[in-house]
Amino acid sequence: MFLIFALITLVGALLMFRLKNLITAGLSLVLCFIGIAGLFVLLGNPVAAALQIIVYSGAIVVLVLFVIMLLASHEEENPEKPRSIQRWGSAVTVSALGVGAIWIVKNSKILASPTTPNVDPMTLNRLGASLFRDHLVGFEIAGLLLLAAMIAAVSLVKREL
Amino acid sequence: MTPTQAFLSGNLQAYILVALLLFVIGLATVLIRRSLLIQFMGVELMLNAANVALLAFARFRGGDVQGTVFYLFIIAVAACEAAVGLAIVVALYRHKQTTDSDRADSLRQ
Repeated sequence: MFLIFALITLVGALLMFRLKNLITAGLSLVLCFIGIAGLFVLLGNPVAAALQIIVYSGAIVVLVLFVIMLLASHEEENPEKPRSIQRWGSAVTVSALGVGAIWIVKNSKILASPTTPNVDPMTLNRLGASLFRDHLVGFEIAGLLLLAAMIAAVSLVKREL
Repeated sequence: MTPTQAFLSGNLQAYILVALLLFVIGLATVLIRRSLLIQFMGVELMLNAANVALLAFARFRGGDVQGTVFYLFIIAVAACEAAVGLAIVVALYRHKQTTDSDRADSLRQ
């Protein structure tokens, strides 16, 4: 099961990276997020999986897709200048990072040491109790941050306030 | 169970590897693609890679509830980032009729 969801996730991410059409790229990002939700279920965290599907693939990607359709820029525009040094430099940097990541994970003794997974799955009950007992200030600040972002988005897009 | 079997059935190493690869793909999207909208999707992918690593560590190293609470805060911040980032892209498109990040360099001149 893990292999299936990991493959769905990575294939969705690679499709998003490669596809020229922005709408299909956004849809493959939805595929990737659904794969991540599957990984969360396998990690015994159905709450996070539900939030992943509702918030990421349901709200954020749909918002991005709406903006893509509104702006009528469905394809990437032709490059103004080739900028081949930057492109090849970033490709080399990114592939070096990827190879280094694989090497580090493969050779890490700490990651490979025996683990004691929690057996009981996450429930909304436990999450809510911890959220409102131990992290109440953070919760309120997150609400304030969302309000500020909403006001900022409206005032950025409005022609004149 | 041999280490390879444990890896293929999903131990901590496998989850961290998936998270790192997702982060690398997101970084490649931000660095190599030019459209601001797809760079934005790459940023979302990098945030999700962090989430996968966080919840994998929470599962395998104890601290399940704390990990999920931080996951909640991360998606609140990601939603804020989505709202403000897309508003900036819309404002830029209204101003310069483009979503290409290479063409949005008038602050340099």
